[in-house]
Amino acid sequence: MSAIALRPVLLQLERAPGPLRQQIEAALRVQGEPLRWAITAVQLRPDAPSLLQIEAVVRSAGRC
Amino acid sequence: MRDTAPLPTLLLIPTGIGCDVGGYAGDALPAARLLAAASGCLITHPNVMNGAALYWSDPRIQYVEGSSLDRFAAGELLLRPVRRQRLGLLLDAGIEPELRQRHLQVADGCRATLGLDIGPVVTTDVPLDVGLSLGASGISWGQLGQPQALLHAGLQLKAAGATAIAVVARFPDDPDSAALAAYRQGGGVDALAGAEAVISHLLSRELGLPCAHAPALSPLALDPDLDPRAAGEELGYTFLPCVLVGLSRAPDLLPAGSGSAVVSAGSSTIAIDAVGAVIAPAGALGGAAVLACAERGIPVIAVDNPCLLEVNAEVLGLEVLKAGSYAEAAGLVLALREGLAPAALGRPLPSLREIA
Repeated sequence: MSAIALRPVLLQLERAPGPLRQQIEAALRVQGEPLRWAITAVQLRPDAPSLLQIEAVVRSAGRC
Repeated sequence: MRDTAPLPTLLLIPTGIGCDVGGYAGDALPAARLLAAASGCLITHPNVMNGAALYWSDPRIQYVEGSSLDRFAAGELLLRPVRRQRLGLLLDAGIEPELRQRHLQVADGCRATLGLDIGPVVTTDVPLDVGLSLGASGISWGQLGQPQALLHAGLQLKAAGATAIAVVARFPDDPDSAALAAYRQGGGVDALAGAEAVISHLLSRELGLPCAHAPALSPLALDPDLDPRAAGEELGYTFLPCVLVGLSRAPDLLPAGSGSAVVSAGSSTIAIDAVGAVIAPAGALGGAAVLACAERGIPVIAVDNPCLLEVNAEVLGLEVLKAGSYAEAAGLVLALREGLAPAALGRPLPSLREIA
């Protein structure tokens, strides 16, 4: 039977051109299926793309 | 007065981020009622509507759990308004017998007094083991130790005919904490909110049914300095009545693009394409639903509603309509509904410029 684990994720993501939501969800999917997330801070940098802080809970499946 | 077609509008006030309006016990409900009148169709989530023992039912308001709202905004779900849902009640095995009985009596009261269709009832195999936590930004999150037990009980309810699910999980009591004292006096964040969202998100996403959550807690000692915004949670033994009322007419969630569902849904379904505005706190624009709406070109109304976050239009590079209050936001919604350009209502009004 597969087990489910929920775990918190804190992510720093450099913003790339294009829609934000897809960038964030793709980055979170590396950790598991995003269940709930939000951008909780944005750092604007003069010579670099902005840096996003993402807080999330992801769901990962394992075996038990 | 002539009737203007409703303008489906999303109202988002994220839970657990300490919003001045909407950060407490359903204290955004007056704003929601006003926006429902302005728009004719307001789609919003339990954090806005749930005042524990206090609630308001309005056929112009669609009550949609946050994860489903995100998927609706992304074009993955359609909403189908219904006359009523059959509510399954999912109880955490970690609830003590007396507290459990209180919740069952609330459900019976809602059947007898409000005429809601409630039942079956299922108790989880093991305690859900809910934990509370704050994230790096100070907003509320939470853990669930036994997610499998939650899903198993939810599947049992669905198999028994439930079309929507109210969950009651035992939350940890911490009556002497500084955070709770601050919350009761109108400061800080709702520490329970993050874990509540995780529970309802997981269940709704897995089962495809409307779901909402009420925490089971021991009663608190009287606080003579209680902030009015938190008072709704201190009127009774449970937070369950608002959840049952909200879910009783929550719209069905239909997968978009799954052929038969869309065809059979007919014209009464609401799709994201029909939404004419999304309203969110000006400092909390970095959530999935707001970003999805902005990507679709849906007007974003950013309301001055202070919270812990400063993720605003400027740092995200979004174009928004700014509102100083929810009353002003209601005016903007009415303007959009009437086909007025919001810019025409402001001064100065710059002259037109020809494209070079």
